[in-house]
Amino acid sequence: MLGKKARSLAAFPLGVMLAFAFYMLPGVVGMAHAKQVFAESAFAEEAFAKEAGAEEQKAAEEGPKVEWSNDVFYKDWEGNPLKGIVSGAPAPELTDTDYNHYDFAPSRIVIWISNQQHLYMGSFVLAVPIFVMVIEFIGIRCKERDPILSRKYDKLAHDLMKVSMSAYSWTAILGGILLFTFITLFPGFFKYLASVFRPVMHVYALMFLAESGILYVYYYGWDKMEHDPFLKWIHCSLSVLLNLVGTVLMYLANSWATFMQAPGGIDEKGRFLGNIWHVIHSTLWNPVGVHRILGNIVFGGGIVGAYAAYHFLNAETKEEKAHYDWVGYVAMFIAVAGLIPLPFAGYWLMKEVYAFRQQMGITLMGGIMAWLFIIQAVMVGLLFFGANSYLHNSMSRVKGSHRYMKYVKYMILLLILSFTMWMTPHTIVMTPAELKEMGGAQHPVVGVFGVMSAKNTAVNLMITCTVLCFLLYQRANKKITVPWATVGNCWLSAIFVWAAANIVYLGVYGYWLPANQRVGLSVPQVSSTLTTLFVGTAINSSMFKDADSYGEIEWGNQSKVGAYAMFLLAVAFTWMMGLMGYIRSSVRLFWHVTEVVRDNSPDAYTLTIGEAGKILTFNALFVWVQFIILFWIGGLSGKKAKAHDEVPEAVPVPAQQQQ
Amino acid sequence: MNNNKTLTSVILLLVGCGVFHYLIFPIFTPKEPGWFLNRYVYFLLMVAYIIGYNIILNLKPPMFFKATTVWGVGYYFYDAVLHPHIPWTLRITYMMLWSIGTFLYITQDPVTFKEFRKPIVKTIVGDYRMARIVVFIALPVLVGFATYQSLLPKFEEPVELRTVHPAPPATTKVHGKSYTLEGLQNPFRIDEQDKYKDSFPFLDADKQEYVKYITEGGTIFFQNCHYCHGDQLNGLGMFSHVFNPTPANFVDPGTIAMLRESFLFWRVAKGGPGLPNESTPWSSAMPPWEEHLKTEEIWKVILFEYWYTGWHPRTFDEESSSGSEKKKE
Repeated sequence: MLGKKARSLAAFPLGVMLAFAFYMLPGVVGMAHAKQVFAESAFAEEAFAKEAGAEEQKAAEEGPKVEWSNDVFYKDWEGNPLKGIVSGAPAPELTDTDYNHYDFAPSRIVIWISNQQHLYMGSFVLAVPIFVMVIEFIGIRCKERDPILSRKYDKLAHDLMKVSMSAYSWTAILGGILLFTFITLFPGFFKYLASVFRPVMHVYALMFLAESGILYVYYYGWDKMEHDPFLKWIHCSLSVLLNLVGTVLMYLANSWATFMQAPGGIDEKGRFLGNIWHVIHSTLWNPVGVHRILGNIVFGGGIVGAYAAYHFLNAETKEEKAHYDWVGYVAMFIAVAGLIPLPFAGYWLMKEVYAFRQQMGITLMGGIMAWLFIIQAVMVGLLFFGANSYLHNSMSRVKGSHRYMKYVKYMILLLILSFTMWMTPHTIVMTPAELKEMGGAQHPVVGVFGVMSAKNTAVNLMITCTVLCFLLYQRANKKITVPWATVGNCWLSAIFVWAAANIVYLGVYGYWLPANQRVGLSVPQVSSTLTTLFVGTAINSSMFKDADSYGEIEWGNQSKVGAYAMFLLAVAFTWMMGLMGYIRSSVRLFWHVTEVVRDNSPDAYTLTIGEAGKILTFNALFVWVQFIILFWIGGLSGKKAKAHDEVPEAVPVPAQQQQ
Repeated sequence: MNNNKTLTSVILLLVGCGVFHYLIFPIFTPKEPGWFLNRYVYFLLMVAYIIGYNIILNLKPPMFFKATTVWGVGYYFYDAVLHPHIPWTLRITYMMLWSIGTFLYITQDPVTFKEFRKPIVKTIVGDYRMARIVVFIALPVLVGFATYQSLLPKFEEPVELRTVHPAPPATTKVHGKSYTLEGLQNPFRIDEQDKYKDSFPFLDADKQEYVKYITEGGTIFFQNCHYCHGDQLNGLGMFSHVFNPTPANFVDPGTIAMLRESFLFWRVAKGGPGLPNESTPWSSAMPPWEEHLKTEEIWKVILFEYWYTGWHPRTFDEESSSGSEKKKE
C-alpha cells in the first residue's frame, strides 16, 4: 500500500514535467520557424514603413488633413475635454424638408406608438427567456427530490417559451415597422444617426441572427434533450447563452437612445471622433441597461401573472385551477423579485441624469415633467399594494397561516403611512384661500414629507414591509423544528427592527445634511433594506430544515381578489413602463440629440399631461390586445394536443397504451 | 348576543367620539400647544379609546363596522385634527390612500371580505329592508347634491399646476456677459462646504474675507430682498401675504438646499419675467435683479442666503458629471 502511495507521489512531479514539456513543445519546435517568419515580417514591415513614410511625407507637403476636436462629454484625466480625430460629418441643420408626415397624426405620435409597441414586445421576449432559464434550472435541481414538481416546472418553462416564440416574430415585425417609420418620417435625423452608429447597427443585426439561431435550437430541441441528464444541462446552458445574446442586443439598442439623451464620442458639431465605444458607452448607458433588465423581468412576470389569473378565473376543473394558481405564484415571485431592486436602479439612473445636466434633472423632477413623476409615484404605490394584497390573499390559502395573518393589518398600516409620505408633493396644488390658511407654500406638518429624505425613507420602508410579508408567506405552513429556532427568530426580528430604525434615523438625519451628502445616505438605507431581503431570506430558509408541515399549500384556493391583484399589477406595469419611457425620452425637449441635433420639426413641443396620458393609455391597451392574440395563438396548439390526447370514454384503450 | 355586542360597540363609538370631539378636543387645542396638550396626542388617545373598549369588553364588532370605523377615523384625522387644513387636492389624495388601505384590510383574506360583503348583500337582496329603503333613497339624493355642488358657480381663482423649479437654460446673459450655467461657480465662495464656519471668530485671513462677502451680501439682502423673503429668510416677509405664489422659503429643505448656485444666479438675475413658459412668467413677482444689482452683488446675496440658512449649495461628483478618462499608467 505504501509502495503504491510512493509511486503515485513520484508520478506527480513526472506528470508536471510532462505537462510543462507539452506546454513548451510548440514554442521549442516553432522557434526555428519563427526566426524565418520574423525575418520575413521584419522585411515586410520595413517595406511598408518606407511606403507609408513616403505617403505621409506627401500628405505633409499637401497640408494637414487630420482634424482634432473636443468631445462633448468625455474628459481626459486632467479634466480637459478629450480630443479625438474628426471621423464623421457634422450633424445636419434639419429643415422642413427633412421631415415627412401623414395627415391623420403627427409624426411624433406615430413614431412614439411604433417605438413603444416594439419596446413592449421586446421587453417581453427578453424577459421570458430569463425566467424560463430560472424555472428550467429549478426543475432540473428538484428532479431527484420531487420528479412530479420537476416535470411541472419543465412544462411551465416549455409553455412560456411557446408563447415567447410567437411574440419573438411579432417583435421583429414591430421592429421593422419602427425602422420604416423612422426612415420615412425622420429621414434627415435617421441619416445622421446611421452615420454615427453604422457599425453598431450591423453588429446588432448579426446578434439578432445569433439570438434567433439559439432560440430555435433551444425551443425545438426541448423534447429531444429532455430525458438525458447531460443533454438537459446543455439545454439549460443554451438558455444562459440565449439570455447573454439577448442582453447584448438590448444594450446595443439602448445605446441609440442613451446617445440621443446624453451624447458622447462626438464634438459639439456632432462629428464622430473615431471611438465607437465612447458613442455607445455614454453616461446613461449602464444605468438604463440595468433598469431595463429589471423592468423587463417585472413586466414579463406581470404579463405571465395576468395570463395565469385569467385562466385561473376561467378554470372549470380543480386541477386547472390549481395549475394556474401555481403558475401565477411563480410569475408573481419573479416579478416581485425584479420589482424590489427596480427603484434603486431608477434612482441611479436619475442621479446620472442630474449629474449629466442639472437642467435635465430639474426638468424631470421639479420642472415641466414633475407632475408626470407624481403620477409615477401613484403607480409605484399601486404596484406595492397589488403585490402585498396578492401575498396576503395567497397566505390565507396556506394551512398554518393563521399564526401570521393577525399581523397583516399592521403591515397594511405601515404601507399606507409610508405611501402617504411618498405621495406628499413638495409643491401642493391649492387655491389662494388654502394658501392663506396654511400660511405659506409648505404645510408645517406634512410639508416635511415633500423632499427626497422622506421619499427614500418611505420607499425603503415599503420594500422592507413587502419583504417581511414574503418571509411570513414562506414560513406560513412550516412548524420550525431546528434547535436554534428561538435564536433564528430573534435574529430575524433584530434585523427587521434594526433596518426600520436605521432607515427612519437616516431619513430624519438627512434633513440636517447638505444635498450632495444627503444623496449618499440612500446607500446605507438601501443596504438596510437589502439586508432584510438577503440575510432575512437566508435565515428564514435555513430554519425550514426538517420543519414539520401544517399542510400543503392549497393550490387552486386562491381568492378572486388575489387574481385581480395580478391583473392590477400587469396593467400598472404596462402603463408605468410607457409613462417612464415617455418621460425619459421627452426630457430632451426640442433636441433630437441633446444640444447637438435640434428638432426642427413641427412636433418639437411637449405634450400636455392629458394628451400624453391618452397616448400612454392607448399604447397600453393596444399592446394588451396584441398579447391576448398572441396567447390565443399560443393556446391553439395546446388545445389541439389536448383534444388529440383525450380518449373518448366509450372507446376501449389498447393494451399497449395502458399503464 | 352578537347583535347586542354590535349595538354596544356602535353606541360606545358614537357617544365616545362625541365626548372626545366636543369636550376633550378643546382642552387639547390651547393657543400654545405643549408636548402633551396638543391635537395629535388627543387623536392618539381617541384611537386608544376605540381600540380599548372593544378589547376590554370583548365586543368583536363585524368586519363592515370595523372597516367603516377605520375609514371614518382616517377622515376625522385629515378633516379635523391635522392643522392647518391641508388643500383639497392633498386631502383627496390622502383619503384615496386611506380608502385603499381600508380596502386592503377588508380583502386581506376571503373570510374577511365575505364578512364585509354580508350586510351589503343582505341590504341589496332585501333582508335588511329598512336599510335598503334608506340606502336607495339616500344614494340618489347624494348624487343629486354632488351634481348641484359641482354645477354651482364658484368665484375662486382656478388652481394651476405651477412649475416651482423650472429648468434653467444652458446659458444666460447678465450685464452683457454670457454665462454657461453648467459648472458656473460663485466667485466669492472660498470653501465649497463652508467647513470653517464653525471656527468663527478665530478666522484666518481667507476666512475673514469670506465673512466680509457674507456681510456685504447680508446688507444687500436686507436692503432689497427681506421685504418679501423675510428677515429670517423663511418667505414670510411683510409683503409676502399679497403674493400668489408666496415668496420662496429658503429655510425649507426643498428650495435652495436642492439647487446649485448657478441656478440661483439665473433666477435672481432674471426674476419673474425671465421664467420660461413652463413656469408661466407671470407666476413670480420677483423683479429681474440684474436691472438693480451688479453681478458681484447677486453672487454675494446668494452666498449670504446659504450662510444664513446653514444650507450648502448642491454639488455633484466631478466624475459622474463628466466622462473622465482614467489616468493611464
